[in-house]
Formats: sequence, structure tokens, C-alpha cells
Amino acid sequence: MPTETASARVSSYALANVTPAIETEHLTVSYGPVPALLDVTVKIEPGTLVGVIGPNGAGKSTFIKALLGFVNRDLGMVKILGEPAEAAKGKVAYVPQRGAVDWDFPITVEEVVLMGRYGRIPWWRDPGPEDLQCVSEALELVRMSDFRARQIGQLSGGQQQRVFMARALAQGGEVLLLDEPFAGVDAATERAILDVMRNARKEGRTLVVVHHDLTTAAEFFDRLMLIKQRLYAYGSPERVLREDLLSEVYEGKLRVFADLKRRGGNGSTAT
Amino acid sequence: MSETLYQWFIHPLEQAFFLKALLGGCMVAMVCGVVGCLVVLRHMAFLGDALSHSMVAGVAGGYLFMKLVYGQEAHAPSMLLGSLIAAILTVALVGFISKASRIKDDSAIGIMYCGVFSLGAMTVSVFSQYIHVDLVHFILGDILGVADDDLKVAAIAGAVVLSAIVLFYRHFQISTFDPVMAASLGFPVLLIDYLLTTCVSLVVVSAISMVGVILVVGLLITPAATAYLLTDRLKRMMLLAAFFGMTSVIGGLYLCVWLNSAGGSAVMVFCTLQFLVVLTFAPRYGLLAGWLRRSRMVPQDLIEDILRAILKAGQALEPGKLAEFVRAPLGKFPRAVERMVADGLLEHHGAMLALTPAGREHARRVMRAHRIWETYLQSVGTPQEELDRKAHKLEHILDEQAIDYLDDKLGHPLQDPHGKEIPQDFVELESGQPVMLSVLREGQRAEIVSVSQEARDLGLQPGDAIRMGTRKNEGRFWVVEREGREDLELEHKAADAVMVRPASESETAPAVSENPGDRKTSPA
Repeated sequence: MPTETASARVSSYALANVTPAIETEHLTVSYGPVPALLDVTVKIEPGTLVGVIGPNGAGKSTFIKALLGFVNRDLGMVKILGEPAEAAKGKVAYVPQRGAVDWDFPITVEEVVLMGRYGRIPWWRDPGPEDLQCVSEALELVRMSDFRARQIGQLSGGQQQRVFMARALAQGGEVLLLDEPFAGVDAATERAILDVMRNARKEGRTLVVVHHDLTTAAEFFDRLMLIKQRLYAYGSPERVLREDLLSEVYEGKLRVFADLKRRGGNGSTAT
Repeated sequence: MSETLYQWFIHPLEQAFFLKALLGGCMVAMVCGVVGCLVVLRHMAFLGDALSHSMVAGVAGGYLFMKLVYGQEAHAPSMLLGSLIAAILTVALVGFISKASRIKDDSAIGIMYCGVFSLGAMTVSVFSQYIHVDLVHFILGDILGVADDDLKVAAIAGAVVLSAIVLFYRHFQISTFDPVMAASLGFPVLLIDYLLTTCVSLVVVSAISMVGVILVVGLLITPAATAYLLTDRLKRMMLLAAFFGMTSVIGGLYLCVWLNSAGGSAVMVFCTLQFLVVLTFAPRYGLLAGWLRRSRMVPQDLIEDILRAILKAGQALEPGKLAEFVRAPLGKFPRAVERMVADGLLEHHGAMLALTPAGREHARRVMRAHRIWETYLQSVGTPQEELDRKAHKLEHILDEQAIDYLDDKLGHPLQDPHGKEIPQDFVELESGQPVMLSVLREGQRAEIVSVSQEARDLGLQPGDAIRMGTRKNEGRFWVVEREGREDLELEHKAADAVMVRPASESETAPAVSENPGDRKTSPA
């Protein structure tokens, strides 16, 4: 049975003649006896902005790490742009959770963004003018050009997040993986990050974003992935944010629904 | 005069031992400084210590091997190789223990370096008839007795290490700053770690004969840490660390000939003094700079105290009078006023100080927070005489969400425990968004936006125009007046469940919020 459905799906893509940007099949990852991810099969078409949602400990970050090839898979296949994950290194840009680096490190905004280019510069050469050009453009896009010479610890949390976005853009990867970029940022940064993401999508890049705030998920993303170990749903926000699905995954943590409803209610009165 | 200067500075240079010490020391210290930057940034200082200690075992092993197998005495290259092997083995063992067991890194390092060091020391003593190694020489070093061989070793090791760092600068930088990113770009992070460990081992080996096992860590860490206080660029930090390493050697050697002290210790004393001076005077990260910054800073508490004092007085105040109210720390008051005028919170009315609209709004927030905190404190059983003092501390928590929570929990009180009016939540009222009926005060008019079932049963409809009456029953019943109809009485929960849009001509309307950060959504 599963092979049938899989082949049916493959043929529909073959008709559309599109290589999925990201493709996993039966992806299973475990830390000990409990699987972090179980049998996740998904195809993400290029140029999509995807939100990965699910409760704490649902394996959202693990999914991203599996796409990067950082975790050992127990089973299954990961393909990025039609290539195995290990071969696609460098085509995938990764924006880690904030707090993953030492903010006292002696490094400027510009130097951090330049790191995005390191994968393309041979070790015996210095960064060239096109690399610096790329860095300027990326900084421009996230509206951080004025801060290029600042040490990164002297920025606000939201600005730091934008610098790491710029680094991912400078990397020029066709696939961007972001781990909770909206966690603890102010409204202005939220806007800026969202703009950057939408721009990247417009250029045909594919973005997979771990996101914890259900109330904004529908507004931010084209597609949502609802994960708790296994993939509960992948599709448009309307299809994924269904009360029966959410209550199954979030196990009746009703606050979530109250928030969602309120958002929805306010939105409809405003328009 | 020039005679003394000559005696002090030039005379030592005419002696070969001094020149050799200077040359060798500078070479070693320069390379140590550069590598030390990476060691400092990776929080590996303790590992440097472990490396240097474990090398004693390597030296003994290398010596013994050449002596027993080839009959060669004190073969320098094999002792060097032995040290390297011992160092890398130690690092690998540390990594293995901390990965494979619950023992953490720091303990693993402590265990392994003492273990390997004592293994070396024991070997030297057991085979004392074969090994003519002076342990003291290794432990303390002898910078004044630098041999030509030592210079050669230092030069080669230094050249190798510096070229590695120049060639793989980006590799070291990215894998130190963000190893995850480095791995995602396909950098061999583990290999880079081992390369760095090898570099550290090489410089440590070449430095040991000069400054000894104990002090070599200082030469690795202290100049790098000194440079770290002065710059925000890794390249500059490396250059500065190299510079501070060399000045340590030069200054230390002069100290040593002037005071006739041990060479290695004099270098480290000078190096440490240099660090302390920089720590004190560094322009941005120094202690003095930090202290100055703090003293120039006007505490938020004081600003809020001043705002509240003027609001409470209800009129513009003379600075002298104001200063009496707020009990500012010495010298802080004029600076606070200056800052507040610059920030647009206060303005001068002749000799008096008055609130600007923005200042007034902020003052009301502080006042509201203070009085709600007081009411809350009383409700949780705080003694009467402590209310004001504690509320004074807590009023600086004036986050809207937090204050709204307390306000709701207390049943939207109208007065604080001293019978003074609690200012209304004007931020919410001014936003034009629907608010809960329960936050309205007597005399305010509003239009009903949505109602709960309970209120609907009582006859309240969306679109109704209402006016708030005097609350009844110690403020626990909200009285809603309607034109030509009888008054309604609602309890706290019921009043919360009715959303209204306040009429814009409300007389109590205060200054409009100028701070976009105050935008907020009303709780449902």
C-alpha cells in the first residue's frame, strides 16, 4: 500500500516536471528508545515558505538537523534539490537558534555575514570583490548596512537575528533552514525577517522555518508541517490548522485554541 | 645620566645569553600570543595547562626510547616528537572520557593531566640512571640558558604554526565562532580541532625549555586575554597578543637582570602586570571605563521617582524642592534632570520643572503601577508600614501585561490602600480598540461592541450607548446606566466579558501615547 501511494505521488511530480526542493521518505531518527522523528515522508516544492509547527519536543529542530545531515538517520532518505543531503552541503543555508554562539566573540557584523561565503572561497584565496558585494547586498536586504562595523554583541536581539539571516542570504543557498527565527524578537524585527523570507521565496528559494507561535503561522507561511514525531499534516494553513488535528497533537492544551480563535475573531472584525 | 641608562638598557644587550633569551623568548611569545587567541576564545585555557604537563611524559618517553633503542643521549627531535604524541594522546583521552562517561570536560582534563604528568615524572625517577633530564628545568624552565638548539626548535615550530594559522585563518575563525555553521558548509570541524591542538602542542613544546611547564600557559593565555580587552577584531587581537607577548619577554628579561631574579617568573610577572594595567584602563572593556559608564548612567528608578513626584505634587516644582522629594544619590539629581529634559520628559518653566505630555504619560504609568502594587501587597498581607517602601521597589515593574494582570486579579480597584485614586489604564483607552467594560470609570461613556450571554440576558445589546455609574458594594458591582432604561449591575466577571469602545470625547482622556511600544491588544 505505501509504495502505491508513493509512486502515485512521484508520478504527479513527474508530470509537473519539478524536482522537489526537499524530499524525505520514511525519515526516522532516534535518540535512545523514543523516536525523535518517525516515518516522515514529505515533498516540499521549490519556492515555498514552510512553517514547521508542533509542541515542545516534537522533533521540529531534529527535522531541520536531519535535512542538514547533522543527525544519524535510523531509516529513510533525505534529498535536497534531488541530491542526497550529504552531497548538498553548501546549497543549504542554516540559521541556528539565537544563543548558539558566543556574543563576545571579536567579530563584526560584516565578518559574520562574510562567513556565509566561506563555503565558496577556496582555502588558499582571500574573499574577492564579488564576495564583499554579496555581503553588502545581504546586509542591505535585512536593513543592517548601518551596523556593518559593529561587534555583534553590541546589537539588540532582533538585530542579531537579522545578521544571521543576512549570512544565510549571502550563502546563496537555494534552501534556507531557520530554527525559531521569531523567538523573542520585537515587532519591527518580525516584520523585517518576514520581508526577507518573502523576498527569498520570490527569488525561488525554499524556506523551512521552525515556528512555535500558532497564532501567526497561517499569516506567515504558505505551507505548514505539523509534526509530533510523525508528520500529522502537510499542506496549506487552512488544511493543517484544524481543531481536530491540533487537539490530537497538542493534547487538549486549550490555550492554543483560545488564542487562535481570538486572533481569528479580531482579524475578521478589523476587515 | 646617560651612563646609568647605558648600564640599565644597553649593557645587558651586549651579553650573548641575554640576546639569545630575548630572541628565543620573543619568537615563542609571539606565536603563543597568536595561538592563545584561539585558545582563549574557545575556553580551552585549562587544556593548555593539561598539554604542557603531559609533555613531561612525552619528553621522558622520547628520551628513553632513543637511549634504549639507539643509544643516543638527549636526542632533541625525538623528545619533541614524544611531547607531541603525549599531548595529542592526552587531548584524545580527555575527549573520550567526557564523551563516553558522565564525567565532564573540566574533570576529565584534571584527571588526565595529573595522571600523565606523574607518569612522566615517575618514569624519569625510575630510570634516573638512563635519563639525564633535570625535571626542575622542565617545570620552571630556564630562559637565560637558552641553547642554540632551543632557538632552532622555536623558530621551526613558530614558522609551522604561524603558517598554519595564516593559511587556515578562516577555518579556525568559523569553527571557533560557529562550529555548527562550519559543519553545515562542509568544513572538517573535528580535523580543524586537532590541527589547532597540534599547533598549541608545538608552541608549548618550544616554549617549555624557556619558561617551563607551569608558566607556559600564562604565555599562551595572558597576552591573548590582554588583547581581547582592547579590540573587537580577531585579526587585530592576534597582532596585539603577539605584541604583548613580546613586550612581556622584553620587560621581563630586563626585570630579571635588574633584580637578579629567575627569568621565566620575571617574564610572567611583567606579563601579568601588563594585563592588570590593560584590565584597568582599557577604553571600552576596562574596569575604569565600566565604572565611568555606570556612574554617568542615570538610573531608571530615579527618573521614575522624579516623574511621580511632580505628578503627585500636581504642579511644576522648583528643582530644589524636587530633589528633596526624591532623595537622589549624590550628584545624580542634576544629571537626571538634564537627561530627562533632553529626552523630552521634562521642560523648564522659568525656574520650575514641569512634565511634558510624554513625561506626564510615563508618570501616570509609574503612578498606576505604584498604587496597584500597593493594593496588591496589602491583599497578600504585607504590613501597612511596609506598603510604600515595597511598592516603591516594585513600581519599576510597569510592564502593561503584568500590571493588567494584577489589576484584574484585584477586581479593578479604584483606590489604593491609602484611599488615593489609582490612575486609569489610559494606554488601552486611548488606542481606540475595544476594551473591557470593567476598566471604565464613573461618568465615562461608551458603546457596547460585544456582550456575553449573561449580559445579553440582562438586556444589553451591541450598539447600546452606556454611561458608567458609581460602583456599588465596595466596588464589586459595576453599574451601567442607559438612556431611558433602568440601570444594570454586573459582577467582575460579567463586566470583563462585555467589550466596549469608549466615547472619544471622554473628559478623562489624558495625553495621547507617543510611544509606539505601548500598543497592545485587549485581553478577550
